[in-house]
Amino acid sequence: MSQPKPTPSSSPNRVSLLRTFPRFSVSQRWEHVILLACIAILLLTGLPQKYSSSVWSQTIISTPERLATIQLIHHISALVLTGLVLYHLGKACYLIARRKLPGDMLLTLQDIKDAWNMLLYLIYIKKQKPAFGKYNFEQKVTYWFLFFSIGIMIISGYVLWFPETITRILPGGIIPAAIMAHSTEAIATTIFIVIWHFYHVHIERLNLSIFSGWLNDEDMRTHHSLEYNQLVRKSRTNKDSGDIKS
Amino acid sequence: MSKLTPVNKLPGVFLVVGFLILASLLWFTPTHANEPAQQTEEYCLSCHSNPDLATTLPSGETLSLYISPEQLKDSVHSPNGIECEACHTNITTYPHPSIEYQNVRELSRSYYAACQKCHPDNYSKTLDSMHAQVAEAGNLDAPICTDCHGSHYVHPPDQSRTLIPSTCGNCHTEEFSVYQSSVHGNALEQDSNPDVPVCTTCHGVHNIQDPRTQQFRVDEPDLCASCHANQEMMSKYGLSADVYSLYSLSWHGVDVSVYDARWPTIQHNSAICTDCHGIHDILKPDDPNSSVNPNNLLVTCQKCHPGVGPNWTGAWTGHYEVSLERTPFLYYVDWFYSIFTPMILWICGIYVALQLIRLIVDRARRSLR
Repeated sequence: MSQPKPTPSSSPNRVSLLRTFPRFSVSQRWEHVILLACIAILLLTGLPQKYSSSVWSQTIISTPERLATIQLIHHISALVLTGLVLYHLGKACYLIARRKLPGDMLLTLQDIKDAWNMLLYLIYIKKQKPAFGKYNFEQKVTYWFLFFSIGIMIISGYVLWFPETITRILPGGIIPAAIMAHSTEAIATTIFIVIWHFYHVHIERLNLSIFSGWLNDEDMRTHHSLEYNQLVRKSRTNKDSGDIKS
Repeated sequence: MSKLTPVNKLPGVFLVVGFLILASLLWFTPTHANEPAQQTEEYCLSCHSNPDLATTLPSGETLSLYISPEQLKDSVHSPNGIECEACHTNITTYPHPSIEYQNVRELSRSYYAACQKCHPDNYSKTLDSMHAQVAEAGNLDAPICTDCHGSHYVHPPDQSRTLIPSTCGNCHTEEFSVYQSSVHGNALEQDSNPDVPVCTTCHGVHNIQDPRTQQFRVDEPDLCASCHANQEMMSKYGLSADVYSLYSLSWHGVDVSVYDARWPTIQHNSAICTDCHGIHDILKPDDPNSSVNPNNLLVTCQKCHPGVGPNWTGAWTGHYEVSLERTPFLYYVDWFYSIFTPMILWICGIYVALQLIRLIVDRARRSLR
């Protein structure tokens, strides 16, 4: 932490080689952009409906026609989000079937240990942060929280959209439960994204790798040292590795 | 001389009496000028107490001119000194001026304007009413003051309250007979219950509005709530006073409150009390004929949700607290989120706060170094 950064400005006469490490595929980056847009639109069109008695909601929903438009937009983005989830799950199933699913995102015992060590580091008991692989436990928590949250939102959302069909098969008590789940889960998800996710990608450091697809050398060494060491070791043994671009 | 004295005194007596009469006129006339002399009743009744007194109008209708002295004594006006002439202002002499009215209705419609003299507020209220609109549109049967209050035998309107529905029922016969068999009408007739609503409780008194408007519709839950949210009144009958507040939280109730607050005149069909419970025909929910009896509930729901299956009624939570017995799904979801949402807030908040503190402290140390 105390080492000076090897930035071009600190040694203006040296030409430095900025190494970048690939992190997300084009498909994953597009998935995130669509997910971001969907969640933003769903929240913007959903929250005014939930807080219908507040003044700001009444400004947005000023006429019944607007309410109908807002609901239409909500439904369309819900369909897009459903498509995205199906694509994501389909791809995962395909990769599992071909034994090619990278297990980086799966939660392991190591993550609990990491979380504990991180907590000890944060309260000044440990001097060093735990070393992380490709995805640290914070990022895994983000992924899995949103995974289940979106699952609940989609299921409860369709129950609310087609209550008359749903109750042909399932008991009626599902409907009020879905209303409550949809409405409350949305708030829990908003809290999570705003506090947890925004802190980690905007305030702790500006991490735009999900848009650009790569991380630089510095960030890799600081935040993903295990993965970095692994990649560097691999590149040493195999100079032709295409993993590292210059 | 002594015989001449009275003769001589006579002009003097006339003078004194004449002066006294003049003086009394000057003294008393101004103070009583606004009150018509109400000495007519006895005089009028000398003829009109004859039960056979009648006349035939140009329309061929027979107009009875009989006034029952006993009933007149019982009315609110006569004992208070408001007698015949107060309303029959055009009849001041006998023989009376000839009757110009073609029929009985025309006569009533012209005489009731006299009510305005003493009751201007209630009279002008009726001008805003549904009844006045109907009259303006040409229906001369639309009720006027005397149709409900009576003309000669007017009694205080709340005596007795039981009579109000039957008064309205003179014209609204179908609504009246339906009301009579409802839980409200039955309690009124059988027990003279003072709490149950009569027609005027919901429809208003003089400025009765069209109950078929959207505005009336969205205001209707509040109308029912004026009794059904009254804890004291409901506890007398073992009814829940929370039905309205719980309804307001339900899907229908939220929808209606949005429309009530913002678009009260825009057509919308989210269910209000009367859509399920009925209007004049409200029955106890455990009555087998009640539209909200568990056996009839599905059919009632299907009025707005055609083709829904038998499970559908289980979705209704509008009058019940969340409970494990009635709505287990809702109970568990409620329980889960009452823990989950604050937990997420606290975990995220505390973890990020710790990280932020460590980040700021580390940066501060680095910059100080």
